[in-house]
Amino acid sequence: MSTVTLFSVSYDLSTVIARGVASVFPQPIHGWILSSDVVLGFAILFFAIILLAASMINTIMLIWWERKLLGRFMDRRGAMHVGYAGLLQNFADGFKLFRKFTVRPREADSAGFYFGPTAYMATSLIIFGVLPISTGWNGGTLPLTLLLALVIFSFAPLFIFVSAWSSNNKYSLMGGMRSAAQMIAYEVPILLAVVAVVIVAGSFDLTTIVYEQQNYWFWGPLVVALIVFVAGMLAEMERIPFDLPEAEAELVEGWNTEYGGMLFAFFMLADYLRGLVGSFLVVLLFLGGWTLPTWVPSSLTSFPLAGIVIFMVKTYLVFGLFVWVRASLPRVRTDQLLRVGWNRMIPLSLLAIFLAAVLVTVKCLPLFGCVPSPGV
Amino acid sequence: MASEITAKEKPGENPILWVARPMATAARQFGKSLFRPSTIIYPYERLEDPKFREKVAVAPGKPIGVGQVWDNYRGVHALNISTCISCNLCAFSCPDLCIEMVTVPGGDPKHPKKCPQIDYGKCSYCGFCSDACPEGCLTMTTRYENSTSKRSEMVFSPQRMLEIYQHKLPMNPIRLARPANEDSILLEPPLCIGCNACARDCPTQCITMLDIPKPEAKPGEKVPKRIWKEPVVNDSDCVRCGTCISVCPKECLFWGTRK
Repeated sequence: MSTVTLFSVSYDLSTVIARGVASVFPQPIHGWILSSDVVLGFAILFFAIILLAASMINTIMLIWWERKLLGRFMDRRGAMHVGYAGLLQNFADGFKLFRKFTVRPREADSAGFYFGPTAYMATSLIIFGVLPISTGWNGGTLPLTLLLALVIFSFAPLFIFVSAWSSNNKYSLMGGMRSAAQMIAYEVPILLAVVAVVIVAGSFDLTTIVYEQQNYWFWGPLVVALIVFVAGMLAEMERIPFDLPEAEAELVEGWNTEYGGMLFAFFMLADYLRGLVGSFLVVLLFLGGWTLPTWVPSSLTSFPLAGIVIFMVKTYLVFGLFVWVRASLPRVRTDQLLRVGWNRMIPLSLLAIFLAAVLVTVKCLPLFGCVPSPGV
Repeated sequence: MASEITAKEKPGENPILWVARPMATAARQFGKSLFRPSTIIYPYERLEDPKFREKVAVAPGKPIGVGQVWDNYRGVHALNISTCISCNLCAFSCPDLCIEMVTVPGGDPKHPKKCPQIDYGKCSYCGFCSDACPEGCLTMTTRYENSTSKRSEMVFSPQRMLEIYQHKLPMNPIRLARPANEDSILLEPPLCIGCNACARDCPTQCITMLDIPKPEAKPGEKVPKRIWKEPVVNDSDCVRCGTCISVCPKECLFWGTRK
């Protein structure tokens, strides 16, 4: 491979390790280990491990990023003491939660109580396997990546409901039901907004969608879809102003009242994992993914792992937008939330689909240029 | 129902403003505090640092000097032992009963000098003691750091407060004028036994025992057995601490207006 990508790095690593291991064994096993299938399999495994570690570290750094940004919005500094400018503060917090004793209420349903957070965390992690972050991404080659990611993303209300119900606390159950209602209400506009993107891009494959944005990023012509998608993502992530099922202090963490220690950390991490996924999706669908506009000189973007760096910078900026919304807006009521979801978001997303169809029909826009392929 | 519970700030206003306006406000705040937030990193930066002086002095007419927070901040006490007259007024005025008069070296061996010792575990930093001090030797500094690791370390002996005094920390200059006590110490002569307790304990030595004539014994009556002396109070030196009243065994001294 000419360019250094994350997969090429893990493939080289796998090759080196395979040679080292194979030198120990006699011939038939030696040849088998060095065969391309085994090396490729281990390369995918390393890739997955790197992806897992990177997504976890990025999630924790996202919490740091939110704390620092929110601090500046509130005229203070945020975490300052552990590490440089508090960089390691959240690792320390996570370690504290990891060491804590996990208390299960006596009346709680044991299976659901442990299954809920674990599955919530696991499904949030699985999404990273299908989101392409740069070129040559192994997971991004499925034809329906976007749909798969959204399907896994929409598992969450089920696990929230399971964990809230099995807490055997009526307030947790109410919070879980609210959470499920909110997430289901905002699934619909999100999917409709995604349909607008798919109409223009002509594919459900995220890699294709990114390459379709070579002339212009989709956020300009599809700004209505972007607004609907971001608002829906805010509700899906249960962030302010749509955090009423959780409502940190006012409802004592809402549906995860009964959880403490590492199980609470699972919820916390999964929330930010979903925040990361939401930012990824915004970048992939509307902001051109790992590409930069063509007027940027290619000498600036030819360093190793450039795609990942560009993608992560965009991701953190998008998450900064979420933090900005959190710093500005008050929490809405349940009825307002659901009314906005069903009465405003769905018509807006239908409008976005209509605009996308017009764009595909017109093919060229004065400001943005032409649709690269005519679409479906 | 639906129309009733729709939140509307002003009728006819564009709902987009409900989102746009707070976000603009937050963005403005973000831009303001991006390079210098209002908070200071306390253990590493202090309000006393000159670079924060102008920033903190928001209230006009309240200048801030180097090494102090606010001029009228009531912090740890400073005690000038040499001018303390052991009048006990600080301990009297303390609402938390955190001041105890303890013996300090350097007094008369018969009548040891007593200075206040303050338990900051009880102290509410009200400043009544420094207001009551007639000599101005017990003052409150602007030192605000008073955390300790042991409860016993919170008790500040007079010597420790003397050290704080010797550090020349800025004193709180706003010392309320003591409520003017125009009354004087008066004597009810028939009760006095001339015991000298008031003159002995007077912190300002303003009481002198003067001889009075011993009356002639009338027939049938016995001359009372007492020391034929009476206290005379020098009002200009008296600090109105009331020590003499409290030590008088016969309760013959009282507050009153001298005619």
